[in-house]
Amino acid sequence: MRTVVFAIVLGIVCSSTLAVASTFLAPYRKANEEAEKVRNYLAVLGIPIDEKWDSKTLLDVYKKDVRTKKLGDFTLYENVSSSEEGGIVAIPFSGAGLWAPVEGVISFEPDLTTIRGIRFYKQEETPGLGGEISSTWFQNQFKGKKIVSKNGKPGFHIIKPGTPADSNAVDGITGATMTSERVQTMLNNLAKKLWEERDNYVQ
Amino acid sequence: MSNNSQNGKSGIFKDGGCNGKCLETLGNGVVKTNPIVYQVLGICSALAVTGRVETALVMGGALIFVLAMSNLMVSLLRSFMPRRIRMITEVAIIATFVILFDQFLKAFYWDMSKQLGPYVALIITNCIVMGRTEAFASQNPPFLSIIDGAANGIGYAIILALIAVVRELIGSGTILGHVVLSTKWYQPNLLFILAPGAFFTLGLLIWVINAVNPSRQTEDEK
Repeated sequence: MRTVVFAIVLGIVCSSTLAVASTFLAPYRKANEEAEKVRNYLAVLGIPIDEKWDSKTLLDVYKKDVRTKKLGDFTLYENVSSSEEGGIVAIPFSGAGLWAPVEGVISFEPDLTTIRGIRFYKQEETPGLGGEISSTWFQNQFKGKKIVSKNGKPGFHIIKPGTPADSNAVDGITGATMTSERVQTMLNNLAKKLWEERDNYVQ
Repeated sequence: MSNNSQNGKSGIFKDGGCNGKCLETLGNGVVKTNPIVYQVLGICSALAVTGRVETALVMGGALIFVLAMSNLMVSLLRSFMPRRIRMITEVAIIATFVILFDQFLKAFYWDMSKQLGPYVALIITNCIVMGRTEAFASQNPPFLSIIDGAANGIGYAIILALIAVVRELIGSGTILGHVVLSTKWYQPNLLFILAPGAFFTLGLLIWVINAVNPSRQTEDEK
């Protein structure tokens, strides 16, 4: 009996401590997550950012240089700054990873076909294997790739390292086949849908 | 640590609450029975977060906090704690403090939290914490338990910092982000940033310390 009472009291005390702390810290955490998202949007849009900027500065730049547009089901985030990167559009995407949902943002040149940059900003894949999708080498591969193959078929592929390169494919991660496949599905769906909507796009 | 167990019944404030064992406990945790070097516990995180001195220090700080607080709570509860659910009680207490620290990092030190990734949450399974609460705090008065927790945390932090200094210096030529070995004439050794570098550094460190200053146990065996 004493054991049960002890366990219940301990459970209540521990969980309420955490609940209070979590509620109290939630606004700070949310602001950080929001800033993280904005930081990645700005990065793929080619807007120069400083590592040391706080969330407020990031948000200000974001409000100044980014406009949202609708295209079919897509929400496009366009770089409207006067720099030569103006006109680049970013599109958020998400999907199931191996362990948890993966969220990211991909950006295109104004033709909506050539990839400009990509960031996976929220993922919980295996560190060192699937987690490599957030690494610079993996993300840098996407720059200049297209979402359509040479013979005009829309789609995007993640291929085994060593197989011949293609205009719409990047190397996958050795040892992370499952993550690579899931990321491929996400991007493939996006590529196909975007290809259909591409003609309706007004700059 | 069973040699301290008889003192459990004395008052908290008598003799500062540690019956003249404060310094001994502190010394044990930091040096004599250093959790990493002599007990070879907490190796996982010692290998994982020591690529840079900054992360190693934060991780050390996290462990000092979690160990001291968990030891305090377990020690305060030690006479009411039903023996059958002792372990799960300890884990619940440890987990509470670890999550608190993790939340704190996420709220105020976002970048650091991102760099440490899952390793802060994994402190829950760090053998040092469970080991100290079970072996020490459940048999000793609160104040002494805090000292023991902090001491072991400090011992852990010092070793982590040492490994991190070696790895960051050889691996990237910097210490705490400041350039020490300029890349103009120094070619950073990537091996030390990667996991194998941690194995080598930690292995050599444990070997050197044990060669220079063998633990009591090894002396007894001789």
